[in-house]
Amino acid sequence: MKILESSPGRYDMGIRILTLGRLDGVYDRLTAYIIKGQKVLDIGCGSGALTLRAAQKNAKVKGIDINPLMLEIAQNRANEAGLTQNIELCEMGVAELGSEESESYDVVMSGLCFSELSEDELGFTLKEAKRILKIGGFLLIADEVRPKNIFKRIVNWLIKIPLVIITYLIAQTTTNSVRNLPERVEEAGLQIESVRFNKMGNFIELVARRPEETTK
Amino acid sequence: MNLHYLIVYLVETLLRFIPIPCKTGLIKIGNPDSNSPVILTCNYHLTVEKVRRALDGMDVNLLVANSRGINVWCSAAGGLFTNHDVVSVLKTSGIEEIVDHRNVILPQLAATSIEGNIIQKKTGWKVTWGPVYADDLPHFIKNNFKKTVEMRKVKFSLVQRVEMAVAWAFPITVIMIPIMSIFWSSAVFSLTLLIWFLSFSIFVSFPLYADYLSSEDKRIGIAFFDFSRSGFHLILWGIVVLCLVIYSVLIGDFSWRFIFSWGFISLIVVLILSLDLMGSTPVYKSSLTEDRFLKVALDKNKCNGCGFCEQVCPRNCFEVDRNRHIAAMPEAVRCVQCGACIVQCPFNALYFRSPEGEIILPQTIRKFKLNLMGKRLVKVKEN
Ligand SMILES: C[S@@+](CC[C@H](N)C(=O)[O-])C[C@H]1O[C@@H](n2cnc3c(N)ncnc32)[C@H](O)[C@@H]1O
Repeated sequence: MKILESSPGRYDMGIRILTLGRLDGVYDRLTAYIIKGQKVLDIGCGSGALTLRAAQKNAKVKGIDINPLMLEIAQNRANEAGLTQNIELCEMGVAELGSEESESYDVVMSGLCFSELSEDELGFTLKEAKRILKIGGFLLIADEVRPKNIFKRIVNWLIKIPLVIITYLIAQTTTNSVRNLPERVEEAGLQIESVRFNKMGNFIELVARRPEETTK
Repeated sequence: MNLHYLIVYLVETLLRFIPIPCKTGLIKIGNPDSNSPVILTCNYHLTVEKVRRALDGMDVNLLVANSRGINVWCSAAGGLFTNHDVVSVLKTSGIEEIVDHRNVILPQLAATSIEGNIIQKKTGWKVTWGPVYADDLPHFIKNNFKKTVEMRKVKFSLVQRVEMAVAWAFPITVIMIPIMSIFWSSAVFSLTLLIWFLSFSIFVSFPLYADYLSSEDKRIGIAFFDFSRSGFHLILWGIVVLCLVIYSVLIGDFSWRFIFSWGFISLIVVLILSLDLMGSTPVYKSSLTEDRFLKVALDKNKCNGCGFCEQVCPRNCFEVDRNRHIAAMPEAVRCVQCGACIVQCPFNALYFRSPEGEIILPQTIRKFKLNLMGKRLVKVKEN
């Protein structure tokens, strides 16, 4: 989804077209886990799709992102929706999660951001997510993944080629669909609650919890 | 020179203008221990290969940060290599568990974008600006992390000029050959020769006409083609046409058709090569950007002579008077408007001034980088 970020102003419309509007359903299902008054962290909040949903439910949301232009859009949308009192936006990357307090969040969520992280960042983020989550707190992820099935992987690849080329030409990057996300979440010591793939096997909705037994 | 490196070097020099990313993270060179130096570079594949080669035989931790597969200077100036990328690799690569110290050496050319004090504030790592070229790293390390004046300078050496000639000639060849083979297939070989000849002539002879180039002057050009002040390319083109005439007279088969077609083709090649001649060199600002008209100005009241500007200027424009604690720019004419001095000055004593007297403050330079067309990504109203 890098290609859209190069012009944050058009990001929201672009993402709606590319995902055929299905992302809304996914985000609604994930944010259903959030209840009033909870403390929520949105990693790579971008223009605030997840952040606003959570704030609407009267949760206290902190959205972090490294792209100041995206954050500006998120801030504007928060203002328009009159949700500023529930939303705090911060220009910071996942690498700075160390500054967040341990066991301080009820929910940590992230939409389409993990696929933009490097290997190291991904491992670090999962580890930190576990640390900052309260016991029993939820980790909610929606992202592009690499299909497990080799056949689907090839089809997926063929469909994506034009997009990948354009992305490369414009933004000089590619998104690396995440591999083995559920396994990596478990490795980080979180407990999978539910995993849902789309038909193509290239998009995941994952819900995990910080389990009981990890308390010291 | 080992074979692997040779192949990588050749292929990636041909494809010089294409970003080639490699994996980010920690690479251990030799057998580093908890006191070994930590050196950071970008994730342009060829750069990483060059740094590894330069450090061969030493014990060093090399951190590769995400610069979107683009070399240090271009990615930093274009806002694609930022504080976030440096913070990220310092915090997530596991280097903090490996070394006891918190000193990281960054490539000097990243100083147009990466802010040492922010890195330190966010991570506790202290930034030292290393040499411009990887080859100087061993000497720099042995010299107790001190740079010589030479190590701070960008150069446009013969080797670099040849690389640049190849980098232009190859894609032009790849694009023009298929077109040519449709219209005039028998001329494909001559065309290839012509492209490479012109490209090499222009870049290798650069020192001959470099003195006539100047970022400030109005350029001679058509639309976005840039002939710079000297119109050197046009002179070269004239010579080529003259040679064509002499050649056809000598072989006793003079035809206007021949002169016209090759004259036209060589003009096209010269035009393409002139797209951004000055920007293809590290010693001039690209003539495509408006920044080339800017001048660095120094607020003497704020300056306290700390010398960061001197350390990061790739053109050695600065001189710091250590007794009077003040910097000066005796060699301001060499400035390429990279902005590194402005970004790094801890006292905000430096800023850009436009010919109309407009002032561009340090915070603007730090925040907004150039895009591919040489415009600041966001143009803000100055006050
Ligand atoms: C595709 S957007 C998704 C935005 C939003 N969550 C949504 O679904 O509309 C991904 C966002 O992740 C951010 N991002 C990328 N790498 C990041 C990092 N290392 N730390 C924090 N955010 C990052 C980008 O700036 C971008 O805004």
